[in-house]
Order: sequence, then structure tokens, then C-alpha cells
Amino acid sequence: MKHSFIALIEDKCTSCMLCVRECPAWCISLDSHTIDVTEEGARRPRKVNVLDSFEIDYSLCMYCGVCIDVCPFDALAWDEHRALVTTNREDMLLGIEELGPSGSS
Amino acid sequence: MSRSFTWHQVEPKDWRDKIGESRNAGFTFFDFLTGVDRENVEGNQMCEVVVHLAKADLSESHFISTQVLNELPSITDLIPAAQWHERECAEMFGVQFNGGNAKPLLRHENLGRPPLLKSTVLAARVLTPWPGGAEPEIKEDGRKVGNASRRRQRPPGVPENWLKP
Ligand code: SF4
Ligand code: SF4
Repeated sequence: MKHSFIALIEDKCTSCMLCVRECPAWCISLDSHTIDVTEEGARRPRKVNVLDSFEIDYSLCMYCGVCIDVCPFDALAWDEHRALVTTNREDMLLGIEELGPSGSS
Repeated sequence: MSRSFTWHQVEPKDWRDKIGESRNAGFTFFDFLTGVDRENVEGNQMCEVVVHLAKADLSESHFISTQVLNELPSITDLIPAAQWHERECAEMFGVQFNGGNAKPLLRHENLGRPPLLKSTVLAARVLTPWPGGAEPEIKEDGRKVGNASRRRQRPPGVPENWLKP
């Protein structure tokens, strides 16, 4: 396993913001909204966060792994992908689609 | 091969003597010199300066350290290779090395406080919007969606009364 990429396993992410807050480079941002989910047999609907966007700015990330360490849901993991080599900084801003673990897309 | 490490804490006045003594005893490999911000030691803002010297075959190491307020005699006449490290320590921790090379290494002169002191609030932390400021229920423009009751959080490492941009 190469430590060359931080992959997001979208299904596991609860939009808790812990990684965004702990990242020393402040290079993660996410947006989410809350929906009510009623489960069978439950008396009240449960509030669930739905992830709208999740971005890592790889022009700032220093691969310290703090975000992986701090995620309580194992939604972030080291991966062997590489962020692109590019001359355009905007290309280094990767969203949910591009952040999927290798083998998933 | 087993390696031995010994620590020597000295007073600033014995700094040069101790380092000269180690060097003359065969500890000729200079690894590094650096600072450690000890913050408040009995009411004084202290910086610990540490030097690592080793035998050329790396079998034995001496770590020599001393705590200073903000100045220390330079050791560059004893160990010329220490110059780069002293200059770095000077600009990062605000320790002046008397008799050394006072030319700034990486930073512009007089550009704010030494950045590696824990008491230095990094300007970028104050001027950059913190991506962690928003709660899931509070949008970037401050609009509250749903049940947004929690107080906005402060970035880690930024003091309570930090400047508002
Ligand atoms: S590896 Fe470090 S710098 Fe990169 S996104 Fe994670 S916490 Fe931020
Ligand atoms: S810490 Fe994990 S669960 Fe929380 S927002 Fe980050 S990736 Fe998602």
C-alpha cells in the first residue's frame, strides 16, 4: 500500500466535520444537509446527514494522515491513487467522484 | 551494533565549553542544532536549544541542551556546520546567536514574530476562512437550516480572542 492518496469511502461518511476541523492544512471542505429518516417501528424520525460535496485540495494537502486517523467511521483511507500532476491548481481540487478508493471506479 | 545516547543539560554559560569538550572527545559528527519552545518556565518564556553530536561511526551520541531566554553564544567557530542551524533557530524561535551569522535564512527581516513559538498565532489562521466553521446545519452564508442550535466552533490553535478578519 502506497501512502499517496487519501480516499473517501462515501457510504461511511456521516458529515461529522471532524476531519475538516482537524486537518492542519485546512484543505478539506464539505457540505451536507439533514433529512428525516423514519425506520419501521421507530416512534420518531431520525435525523441523518447527507453528504452533498466533499473536497480535498491536493495542492495544500501534506499527506500527514491526520484526517484518516481522526475519522471515527473509517471513511477515509490511504490509497495508491495519485493526485494528478498538473499545472492548474484547480485540477488538484478533488471531489467525491475522484476521491473514491482505487478499484471502485 | 548498539548505540548509546547521553543527555547533558548545561547552563548557557557552559554551552560552548561543553560542546567543545564533546567534540574534542571524538564527537565530531554534528547532526543538528534546533530549538524547543518550553513556553512558560517559572514565569519566563524559555527556549531550549539542543545540539546532537555523535562519534563518526555513530556508536555514541551526545545530546547537549540548554535553556535560554533569547540569546546564546554561537558555536560556529567550534563547529562551522552549525551556522545554517543557528540561523534557522534564530528566525524560527527568536534566539540570537552572538558571534554567529545573523543574516536571515528563509524569512524576510522583521516580518512578524518567530513562527515556531507556540505563542505566535499564524496570520493565515486568522485571515483564512476556516472550512470547519460551518455546522452541517449552518450554510456558509450563515443561513441556518433545520435544527442548527450548536455554537460555532473556533479553529484549533487559535486563541479565544483572535482577531476577526
Ligand atoms: S492528509 Fe493531512 S493535510 Fe491532507 S487532507 Fe488529511 S489531514 Fe489534511
Ligand atoms: S471524519 Fe470521517 S465521517 Fe467525519 S466528515 Fe470526515 S470523512 Fe466524513
